[in-house]
Amino acid sequence: MDWKIAELKELEDKIWRCTACGTCKVAYDYGPPPTFGEICPAGTEFGFEGFMASKGKIAFARGILSGELPWDDELLEAIYKCTVCAGCQNQCQLDHKPYIPEIIEAMRRKAVDEGVGPMPLHKNLLQSMKNYDNPYQGPRRVRNDWTRPFKKAGKPIKDLNDEPAPVLFFVGCTGAFNTAARAVPTSTASIFQKLGIDFGILGENEICCGSTAMRVGDSEEFKRVATKNLETFKWLHDERGVKTIISSCAGCYRAIKKDYSLSSEYDKVMEGIEVLHTADYLNRLYKEGKLQFKGELPWKVTYHDPCHTGRHLNKFIIDQEGKQLWKGAYLDEDQSACLYEQPRDLLKAIPGIEFVEMKRNRANAFCCGGGGGVMTGFGEWATKNASLRIQEGEDTGAERIVSICPFCHFNLNEGAKRISSQIKVHDLTELIDQVLVGKSDD
Amino acid sequence: MSELSTLQKEQVVTAADPGNVDSVLKELRKIVGDANCTASRHIRYAYSYDMSFVKPKLPDYVVMTEKVEQIQELLRFANKEKIPVVPYTGGTNIGGLTIPERGGILLDLKKMNNIVDIDPEAHVAVIEPGVSHAKLADALYKHKLRFGWPVGPPSASVMACAVSHGIGGLNAKYGLNSQEITSMEVVLPTGELVRVGSCAIRHDAWHSCLPLPQLDGLFKGWLGSSGVVTKIGISVHPIPPLLKVFTVSCDKVEDMYSYMLNLSNYEMCDDLTAVSWWLAQVPIPYPFRPKPNDAPEWFSFATTTSWTEKEKEAREEIWEKVFEEEQKKGTSIKRTVYPEEALKGRTQLPSQVVGSTKNYCKQGGAGISWPGTFTPAKVWAPVYNKWKDILIAHNLSPSVRMSMYRGVHYGMLRAMIPFNKQSAEETENARHAIVECLKVDLDAGGIPYKPPIDFANEIIKRADPGYLELLRRMKKFLDPNDIMNPGKLGI
Ligand SMILES: Cc1cc2nc3c(=O)[nH]c(=O)nc-3n(C[C@H](O)[C@H](O)[C@H](O)COP(=O)(O)OP(=O)(O)OC[C@H]3O[C@@H](n4cnc5c(N)ncnc54)[C@H](O)[C@@H]3O)c2cc1C
Ligand code: SF4
Ligand code: SF4
Repeated sequence: MDWKIAELKELEDKIWRCTACGTCKVAYDYGPPPTFGEICPAGTEFGFEGFMASKGKIAFARGILSGELPWDDELLEAIYKCTVCAGCQNQCQLDHKPYIPEIIEAMRRKAVDEGVGPMPLHKNLLQSMKNYDNPYQGPRRVRNDWTRPFKKAGKPIKDLNDEPAPVLFFVGCTGAFNTAARAVPTSTASIFQKLGIDFGILGENEICCGSTAMRVGDSEEFKRVATKNLETFKWLHDERGVKTIISSCAGCYRAIKKDYSLSSEYDKVMEGIEVLHTADYLNRLYKEGKLQFKGELPWKVTYHDPCHTGRHLNKFIIDQEGKQLWKGAYLDEDQSACLYEQPRDLLKAIPGIEFVEMKRNRANAFCCGGGGGVMTGFGEWATKNASLRIQEGEDTGAERIVSICPFCHFNLNEGAKRISSQIKVHDLTELIDQVLVGKSDD
Repeated sequence: MSELSTLQKEQVVTAADPGNVDSVLKELRKIVGDANCTASRHIRYAYSYDMSFVKPKLPDYVVMTEKVEQIQELLRFANKEKIPVVPYTGGTNIGGLTIPERGGILLDLKKMNNIVDIDPEAHVAVIEPGVSHAKLADALYKHKLRFGWPVGPPSASVMACAVSHGIGGLNAKYGLNSQEITSMEVVLPTGELVRVGSCAIRHDAWHSCLPLPQLDGLFKGWLGSSGVVTKIGISVHPIPPLLKVFTVSCDKVEDMYSYMLNLSNYEMCDDLTAVSWWLAQVPIPYPFRPKPNDAPEWFSFATTTSWTEKEKEAREEIWEKVFEEEQKKGTSIKRTVYPEEALKGRTQLPSQVVGSTKNYCKQGGAGISWPGTFTPAKVWAPVYNKWKDILIAHNLSPSVRMSMYRGVHYGMLRAMIPFNKQSAEETENARHAIVECLKVDLDAGGIPYKPPIDFANEIIKRADPGYLELLRRMKKFLDPNDIMNPGKLGI
């Protein structure tokens, strides 16, 4: 399987489209009314221009490519002090816009390829992936621990290694190994069971999607797990009748949808398989009238857009052949694949919920601070950043903050603890599970 | 470890004696704390260049201050040690004005970003250096107030623009953004904190620089070389609900001048601007592309705002009269529909689209510079015609803007010149053309604003010796050790 993952040098011409205008430094919309907000977690925390948004990252990229910035510990750390949230990308309007996260990750790939990166804590994570196929140093059998209550309750979850089902629930390592985020797979599976969906999991044989490896610049490790996963998906489709892969993790979802498409075999392997995030899947069922709610959740709730289910899924329209402007000109963006409305529609549908929006939302949502390897590499900063987002949630008067990513879920929880916030953090599935009418309730 | 390329070796110079770095850093840390100062190369590198043709140069240190007292302490220290200090907010001035000529301390003021006060009754706002146009626009709108937003990046500093005689979208109505400054608080290069304007007499009165002697002039147009401004009061204005933009086109710059002169006599516009065909394109063609024969060479938009329909109708009546008079003169003036995206970029300010340089640089790539000048309107046409020759000879688009300022017949004459900054040759080509254009304008009576050093040198060559001596004396008086942004004034 060939992979088309760009080296920094290949992006040099794009890097030289940046005018250092700094528009990427703040989220701003004319409106009216005009709206303004800080958008770059790294810039907010560290301040110096190099840390600040794509303007700063592109400065590093230029210096690295020209040789003016030889590797040293501080430079290395600086290129990892970025959550790759793409908040900056959302502001830029020039031809390199589509490639901004790619440029940041390509610097990291160069660091890894040249033996200086990633950060020491990332190295542990990557070693764990090699040893255990997950970044949490979790023995494979632990991957199934979250399913025990289901077994106990006499509702075991199908193992697709043994039997067929049309739906694969791709659990993801965070939901499976990070006990604080376990509510995510548990509620997802509970919802699916209530709805009578014929689904299964890969259990101990599930391996990491590779997102973290890719984010920290280890493309070899990413390719290893991604290739294996694609082979598994094909096998599941051919041998187990899987037609839909559902993930409740924004990171896995983004990886399978976007990073895997860099494989030469992607279209062939994924033919006949649809990849969906749980929020999207449930929203479709809701629109078809297949979700019924009982009781109510009398809470004021706000929603945090994970970067990976939001602006990371932007599609960029590029003048590939130079027919409209010139070869490679960025023409427009298509947000139709971003999951902005689906989770909001579901939240608003839950009886009793009063939904309020944070000031920075959808494409301009402020990252929780956990992405791009930051939670592993710079845990304290990740938590501090999450507390800023929690504060923004509190400022709306909301009592609960909901998201659709176990990573955000964990990090926001840590952020809430840091500032002793009263706000409670939930995954969307937890709320839906509480009020969903199951088939057996009819 | 990679070697520096020859080109970069030439381009990046550094001034600090490496032996001193540690001891200076130690002092800086005492003043602003560990997290707010650095001598790391990668951080300094990010401040070493901007979008202009000005050659990159590294500062030796970067310092971020959070309080006025820190700036005072920093300047006292820098003055004692004779270390250059360059005030910085966003570095988007298009003239290399924050690129340190002699290394030293790059003073990044972005963390001082409080809107200290908005007085919706007195129509005065008090702001710190790091307040961006985006932030102020958001805050002012809550009071249905506005300011003269430039077509620059929304993230850029309101104060930096105003103290540098910046130009905003209300310039025909209220004047330059520097004319909107009502009071100032400044740290002198020697560390003293001073105030000018009403806030010097009563600490919370920020409403006017007049009728006191206009000492605010000591800190406006000095390119960060006379002190660090820490607060300014600015006039802000109500937003009338009705917008009407009058758009015309014509074939000759002389015809456009005639129309603008006529219309400006009525002093009814927020902004009265004309742009050449090349500047009206989104983006500016790079390299030069000839204008189609059937396309007009000039477009103008006259932005007006009114409180009532009747007031709007009265403006329409005046405009119709002007338009008819111009037609009767036999000029090529025509009513025109201005392209929507380009018009948005002029009227929906601050604008992310224009500010991100999309309209200017998208085709050129990374570089933009301008001969940006205040020029008497009567020489706009001859200067433009010469600029056109020069720019086309350099394969660059004559993307020129003319804007009439409040109540006067002079205004902005500038050419936005994008170029491919990846190429040293193309950058030098643009620099050469732009400096040539500037000389033509200076000789015709224009004066460049936010001038890069190449321009400052040309100004100084032509300046009256008395003016130069006074400038030198004032500079010496304020900044005896020449630590503030040295080299930028060309003296
Ligand atoms: C696409 C584009 C369009 C633009 N359009 C316009 C326009 O329409 N009108 C206009 O006026 N400008 C325009 N500009 C220029 C620029 O964006 C504005 O002037 C801007 O507000 C400058 O802010 P900055 O934060 O980037 O300042 P900087 O570049 O950081 O600083 C500008 C100057 O002010 C000095 N300075 C900064 N802060 C202080 C302080 N506190 N005390 C003393 N000196 C200080 C600096 O040393 C420097 O000399 C444009 C720029 C771009 C890229
Ligand atoms: S990345 Fe885009 S928005 Fe940011 S400085 Fe560069 S050109 Fe401007
Ligand atoms: S990706 Fe996010 S954290 Fe990284 S530079 Fe851009 S805005 Fe900042």
